[in-house]
Amino acid sequence: MNFDKVISGFFIILAMTLNFGFFYGDLTDITVHSKFELFAAIVVNLIATILKLGDKTQMGSVLLATSLVAVIQLIAAATIWAMGAYVYVLDRELVSLIISLSGGALAANVVSVILYVGDTLKSKR
Amino acid sequence: MNNSALWIVLYRMRTPLLVLVLTYSIAIIGLVVIDGKNDMGEVYRMNIFDAFYIVTYTATTIGFGEIPYTFTASQRIWMSMIVYATVMGWFYSLGTFITLLQDKLLLSQLAQNKFEKYVKNINQHFLIILGYNYISSEIIKTAIASGVRVVVIEKDEEKVRELNLENYTPHVPSLIADVHDSIALEKAGIRSKYCKAVVALFSNDELNLKVALTTKFLNPNVKLAIKSTTNSHAEDLRDLGVDIVENPFEIIAELIQMAITNPDMRVLQRWVYGSDRLKINSKSVPKGKYVVCGLGRMGKVLFHILKENGIDATFIEPRKKVLRDLPAEFRSEVIIGSADEKNLLIKAGIMEAVAIIASTDNDTQNLSILTSARRINPNIFTIARENEVEDISVFKNAKIDLVFIPARVLIKKTTNFLIAPYSNIFLDLCKKHVDPIFAQKIVTKLYNEISHNPETFGIKITKEKAYAVHHFIKYKNRKIKLGIFSKSLINRDENNKILPLILLRGEEKMLLPSGDVEIQIDDKILFASNEVARNDALDIANNLYELFYAYYGKEKNTIKEVFKWIK
Repeated sequence: MNFDKVISGFFIILAMTLNFGFFYGDLTDITVHSKFELFAAIVVNLIATILKLGDKTQMGSVLLATSLVAVIQLIAAATIWAMGAYVYVLDRELVSLIISLSGGALAANVVSVILYVGDTLKSKR
Repeated sequence: MNNSALWIVLYRMRTPLLVLVLTYSIAIIGLVVIDGKNDMGEVYRMNIFDAFYIVTYTATTIGFGEIPYTFTASQRIWMSMIVYATVMGWFYSLGTFITLLQDKLLLSQLAQNKFEKYVKNINQHFLIILGYNYISSEIIKTAIASGVRVVVIEKDEEKVRELNLENYTPHVPSLIADVHDSIALEKAGIRSKYCKAVVALFSNDELNLKVALTTKFLNPNVKLAIKSTTNSHAEDLRDLGVDIVENPFEIIAELIQMAITNPDMRVLQRWVYGSDRLKINSKSVPKGKYVVCGLGRMGKVLFHILKENGIDATFIEPRKKVLRDLPAEFRSEVIIGSADEKNLLIKAGIMEAVAIIASTDNDTQNLSILTSARRINPNIFTIARENEVEDISVFKNAKIDLVFIPARVLIKKTTNFLIAPYSNIFLDLCKKHVDPIFAQKIVTKLYNEISHNPETFGIKITKEKAYAVHHFIKYKNRKIKLGIFSKSLINRDENNKILPLILLRGEEKMLLPSGDVEIQIDDKILFASNEVARNDALDIANNLYELFYAYYGKEKNTIKEVFKWIK
């Protein structure tokens, strides 16, 4: 058992599950989406991204790219939420924007997990 | 993924970034969870955005204060804990980043990237010079002066610093790397279409051979100038297809041979290399008995030359083992001992000798030999080998009749080969005429018809280099003779001081072509002339009006032609 693999696998999958937890629910109703879950998703996604830094292999590069996509989408969602709460009114349009951004991040997370699992299956050790 | 510098930064920054993310998220969660009070005294919970804002300015030690409401005691307890954690996290990250910026590995990576990018952007011909020393610095100067760029690979950082201090203009980029490393050579642009030649003049023959092999493997079309001091290596190099193999001892031997049998050829060569002016009636070195001090690599070459020319010579050499390499019948001509001893010189026959050659690899010894030889026989002709270029003023003041400097010869020969290929061919052709009268004729002709120091220039009959002539031949089907370049543009009936030296047409090489030769497209012609004649010849080659005048003897009248054409 490779401890490094456990840690990076843990964070990559946790990033996806947390994101799914936030995304799941009515697309227009902000009350069924917890802000703490979004916060946790951002933090875990950041950690997953940092863990992938410096991996020079082809797979490492693609994993890093998917993670960056997820992080950028999630941070955009959080920023829009903060702007909506303070500057504008948090209407249906903004709420659906926030949720769908996290949905996009979820897609990137899913790709990341698929690649990770594929890489692990391919590995002979 | 060649950008190693970025990867080094990212990899080393992993832990600091993780620490930052963790401390930030713990701090933010704490701030959001702990109860606060608003200005009305009601229980209030901070939202995530406010918490992030507070942590951001606290962690970076900016500290804007307690917002949106004054903190409660429990919030302050939490803040005082997280300030230490987050500020430490920041300092740790910054510290790691700054250490990274000073990291040797990263810096060399950045320097390599910069070098690579710079070389890629050079869009004119350039040379790759391996190793930086006095010889290569002279080659760099000549190359830059004739508009050829230079790229240097050098292993020693100290020498690269020296090169940068020289401040060549345009800039000479340098890479710190092993010279036979194929990756370094590729970074230096060996595969580039602008790379004209690779120069390796190391004193280590093995290294030179290695470089030649790597270079030919990477780009078989690039020209190579490689030094070699032994024949076996020279043969290996020629087998590899190296264009110019330079053995400094053979070069000197050739020079001495010239000095003995064909002094005018030597004058001609020195003029082409730019070391001296033309001289007529130059005398060859005296013939008679020679004393040669030193029988090392150069001494052996001298030995064969003197024997070939039937010159009686006695050798003095301190090392006994050199005798083993000599044929038995010549061993009696070698005296074992140190050459600066007076008795030995007398024993070698210095009183009857006409010339003495000091050819050891020690400059001080060479000087002292010649001084003591002169004291015994004041009329003797002195010839010295000078090893260190720095000693040049000492040798000048010693009033030695003939000084040979291997390093300088190497420089002149290399630069001439790389930068002035036409004049190099000219010299080679002249050397094929063994008869000394031939060289004498050329020197006399140049001296009398032009000046004591004519300049050389080449014209290639192409659209870019000789527009007018190219246009006349190709589109107007006129026959132009070589003599047209001699015409004076002030009065075409008079001739300028100009002499065509060679005309190259494909494989054909015409030495001293006559004015009646008809010019064809893609001919390459080398002229010797004075400045006025050169300007006129270049005008005739490129300017339709000037060519029209030189060809027909009247001014070209464009307006008339246009009217004729309209009619």
